[in-house]
Amino acid sequence: MGDAYCSDCKRQTEVVFDHSAGDTVCSECGLVLESHSIDETSEWRTFANESADNDPVRVGGPTNPLLADGGLSTVIAKPNGASGEFLSSSLGRWQNRGSNPDRGLILAFKTIATMSDRLGLVATIKDRANEIYKRVEDQKSSRGRNQDALLAACLYIACRQEDKPRTVKEICSVANGATKKEIGRAKEYIVKQLGLETGQSVEMGTIHAGDFMRRFCSNLGMNNQAVKAAQEAVQKSEEFDIRRSPISIAAAVIYIITQLSEEKKPSLKDISGATGVAEGTIRNSYKDLYPHVLKIIPSWFAKEEDLKNLCSP
Amino acid sequence: MAARRNNPSGIVPTIQNIVSTVDLDCVLDLNHIALHSRNSEFFPKRFSAVIMRIKDPKTTALIFASGKMVCTGAKTEAQSKLAARKFARIIQKLGFPAKFRDFRIQNIVASCDVQFTIRLEKFACTSHGAFSTYEPELFPGLIYRMKQPKLVLLIFVSGNVVIAGAKKRDDFYTAFDNIYPVLAEFKK
Repeated sequence: MGDAYCSDCKRQTEVVFDHSAGDTVCSECGLVLESHSIDETSEWRTFANESADNDPVRVGGPTNPLLADGGLSTVIAKPNGASGEFLSSSLGRWQNRGSNPDRGLILAFKTIATMSDRLGLVATIKDRANEIYKRVEDQKSSRGRNQDALLAACLYIACRQEDKPRTVKEICSVANGATKKEIGRAKEYIVKQLGLETGQSVEMGTIHAGDFMRRFCSNLGMNNQAVKAAQEAVQKSEEFDIRRSPISIAAAVIYIITQLSEEKKPSLKDISGATGVAEGTIRNSYKDLYPHVLKIIPSWFAKEEDLKNLCSP
Repeated sequence: MAARRNNPSGIVPTIQNIVSTVDLDCVLDLNHIALHSRNSEFFPKRFSAVIMRIKDPKTTALIFASGKMVCTGAKTEAQSKLAARKFARIIQKLGFPAKFRDFRIQNIVASCDVQFTIRLEKFACTSHGAFSTYEPELFPGLIYRMKQPKLVLLIFVSGNVVIAGAKKRDDFYTAFDNIYPVLAEFKK
C-alpha cells in the first residue's frame, strides 16, 4: 500500500503491492507499474534451538586468507568414476580456462592436504604447511624445483615447528616420488628462503628421540608401562656419548624394552617397519647402547637379572 | 709464511685440499690432448673437459676447451701453483701456446681435531643457532656457516672440525680461533 505516480491516470494514486505475483498495481485504473519485484525478506526462519550443523545463513567453506580472492571462486569438479575424457568435454574446458591466478596454489594445497591426511596430521599442521608453501612460492625462484619434494619439505617443516616432528622417512612414505635426499635439499632451500625473507625467523629445534617414542610405541602396540619405561630410558640415554641418529637410538631402546617385557616381543623386522630404521642399524645401535643398559633402563621396570638375561650383541 | 700458533690450545688446522684455477689463454683441442698424453681421460658425453693427473705433486686437473683449467688435490698453496705450472707445461709441450694467467686459489679445505667431544644439540640451540644447521637425520655433523670470514665449518660429535671455503690460509686460522672457545663451551 502506498502512493506512486501512475502513468495512465497521470497523477499520484494509491498503489497496491501484490505479494503473490510481485506486482505493483494502481488501484484506480489497474495498470501494473512494476512486475517481478524481488522479495528481499528472509527466505527461511531460523530458530534459536535448532542444530548449528546446518546454518543456512552461511554458504561455502571457510575463507582462506592465503588465496588471492579468499577462495570465493567456483570450481567445476570431476565427478567420481568419470573417465579422463570428461575433462576435455565442454565443462572441463570451461574449468581449465586458466583465468584463476591461484590454480597452482590450490593444487599444491590439495596435495599437502592429501599427504597430511595419510599421516593423520591435525589441521594446524596442514595450515602451517600451506602458509610456508605460500611464503616460498611468493619468491619466484622456486620454479624449477621438484614440486613433490618442496611440498613434502613444507609439511616436514610444519610438523617440526609445531613440536610434533615426523621423521623424513615417514614424510617420504606419503610424498609420491620424493626421495629422502630431495626432501632434505628442499628443506634446506626453504629454510634459506624463509630466512632471506624475514631475517632468520625460522625457529626449529633439534629432534630428540623422545619426540618419536610415543608414536613408535603405539605403532607396535606396547603397553603403557613399557611406553613410560621407554621414554625414561631415552631421556637418560642422552647423557651418554652415543653417536647415533636419535631415531636409531629410539629404535634400539624400543628393542631393549620389548625384549625385557613378558608380552609378545616384536621381532627386529616389526620394529624396523614401525620406526623406519634398518635392522642392521638397530643391531649396531643396540651394540652401542648395551654397555650403558643398566643405567638407562629404569629400575622399576626391569630387575638386574633380567638385564643380564639380555642377549649380548 | 710463518705458521701462526697464537691459539691457546696449540691446535692448528691442517690443509687437506686446495682448489685453484688458472687461465692458459688459448683455445685447446681436447681430443688432441687426450690422444697425445698418457695420464688423461676424456669422455665428452659425460663431461666436456679433459681430466689429467700427475704424480708429483699428486694432483688432478680439469682442462677445458676454452683454455681454462682447474687444479685440485694439492696440500699447500706452493704445491698447487707448482702443479698448475706442470700441467701448463704439458699443454705447452703438446703444441699449444699456453700461458699462465690469473692463477687464483679458489678453495682451501682444512681439518683438525679439538680432542674433546662436543654437544651439538646444545650448540644449535644457542645464539649460534642462527648460523648452524644440525639435522642428525640428514647428516651427522653440524654445518656452521661463519659470516666473518665467510666459510663453512663441519663440526662433528667426535671433535673433528672440517673448514671449507677459505681463500687464504689466514682465513681458516681466524675461523678456527673464533670457533675454538665456542666449542670449548659445549664440551661434553
